[in-house]
Amino acid sequence: MTVTPAVVEEEPTKKGLSFKLPLDETEMGLVAGIVAAIVVVFTGLPAVIKGIALILAFLWGMDSVRKTSKYGLGTGVPSIGVLATGFGVVGALVGLALAKYGGIDGVAYPAVLIGVILMGVIGLVSGILSNNEKVIAMKIPRLERAMMELGMAGTLIILLECSIVTGSLNFDAVVNQVMNTGLIAFMFIFTCFGLLHPYNACLGPDENRERTRMVAVEIAGLICAFLGFAMIILSSFSWELGSIVSVTISSPWKLWNGVSLLIFGVAVWAYFFRMFIKACMDEAYETVGTGMIKTIE
Amino acid sequence: MEPILIILWVVVGGLLASLGAHLLPVGGAPAAMGTATGIATGTVQIMLGAAMTGLFTAASAATFTDSLLLVALSGAIGATVMICVVMLMANILYTFGCGIVPVSGRVDVDPLTKEPQAPYKTPQTDGHGVPNCVYVSGMLGGFVGGFGGALMYFALLNYADFTAGTAAIGSLSIFVPNAIIAAYNIRGTIEGFHDPKFKRLPFAMVTSLVVSLLCGILVVIASYLTVGGTM
Repeated sequence: MTVTPAVVEEEPTKKGLSFKLPLDETEMGLVAGIVAAIVVVFTGLPAVIKGIALILAFLWGMDSVRKTSKYGLGTGVPSIGVLATGFGVVGALVGLALAKYGGIDGVAYPAVLIGVILMGVIGLVSGILSNNEKVIAMKIPRLERAMMELGMAGTLIILLECSIVTGSLNFDAVVNQVMNTGLIAFMFIFTCFGLLHPYNACLGPDENRERTRMVAVEIAGLICAFLGFAMIILSSFSWELGSIVSVTISSPWKLWNGVSLLIFGVAVWAYFFRMFIKACMDEAYETVGTGMIKTIE
Repeated sequence: MEPILIILWVVVGGLLASLGAHLLPVGGAPAAMGTATGIATGTVQIMLGAAMTGLFTAASAATFTDSLLLVALSGAIGATVMICVVMLMANILYTFGCGIVPVSGRVDVDPLTKEPQAPYKTPQTDGHGVPNCVYVSGMLGGFVGGFGGALMYFALLNYADFTAGTAAIGSLSIFVPNAIIAAYNIRGTIEGFHDPKFKRLPFAMVTSLVVSLLCGILVVIASYLTVGGTM
């Protein structure tokens, strides 16, 4: 007589997360804000360092979007990301206008940070009005702080992107190379998606912050690659009001900066995309292949 | 460089953006399943699409005219055409794709055409498609929103003396927070001027006034510092 062995309950192996940044939301905001502010002031730095600051700023913005949207905005997550970018562009315009005061041309522009602070004030005001019982009454805890952070993070992101592409924060240079070439339209949409997409894609019952942050880093990497590509294009053509005048390489420093940023961006994207897929596979209860679609017999 | 006019038109544009967002038929996720009236996406996407189309037409008009009314009206027409095409396509998809009639969920009788609505509504749903009064309301919303966006564009282009690209992205960036604050005021779905939620409009207007006033002041600062001129 054969005895069927009792089914051994397999102990579910607890797979830990493969990726952890040891910072909570407040620390992340402080670190990202300070690093991005220092990098945005010194425009002479290599593009890769600005790219790292850009990634940190995106992580900060993503955290603010996440802690606001957790309570349900009623209009979907995209709205708050677009709001941050809208504030960011206005703040960046003011910062760029102020940049010529107290700075060294081509090296450091400390006055741009006034634009960041002014946008923080506008964000705070709109947060207070949105959360006030007598006005819009959204009743989201700490919305005021989140909207202020979003305004500041958005401004820092747009300023960093302008600084990467232009290499300086001179208003005329930015207008010629970013606004008049139409690059700002791409920046607007890409920044929107960098801020809103991580939480919008990951939200759900089992959302966790580490996994959402991987998506944020991954998108920031893609944006770095795009900006590097834009730098290569801008360095090899001399643009005059949109028409290609000559195809001479006018700035080799910018070309190599662009190439290095492109390689950095693609590497960051590939690494974190792989890590994200792996984390999803690990944290899922089970991953099974369904095979090809079967026809009914 | 005329600071008073810049602030005035930016504030008026912001208020019109807020009003326009309240008039649009926003269906949100329920409309994607055919269980609510309106277009199946959020306020932000609809308003951003309409405003961008309006800015394109306004920018084309601004290249050959200096008239404020002409630029603002061309922006309004662009946004209206865009929103009308979207509503028409939504109706075609709902009617011939899902086989449901456009019907309002908030009123029993259409306030404009006096057509009965309640008998055609599927039980347990909140209306379908884009019925007549909602269509008219959406047209008005697109017109008002596009007009506001084009006003801001004109002020930034001619009074603040920005280049066309900077003026376009600047006006879009001031337009967007106003539309989004209106969306937070609406909380999800709205049908138009006959919806009970439309009565919440003053709250959004107050917020919009403050935010666009502050943004207008920032634009004046930026314009004064870069272009110069006499205040």
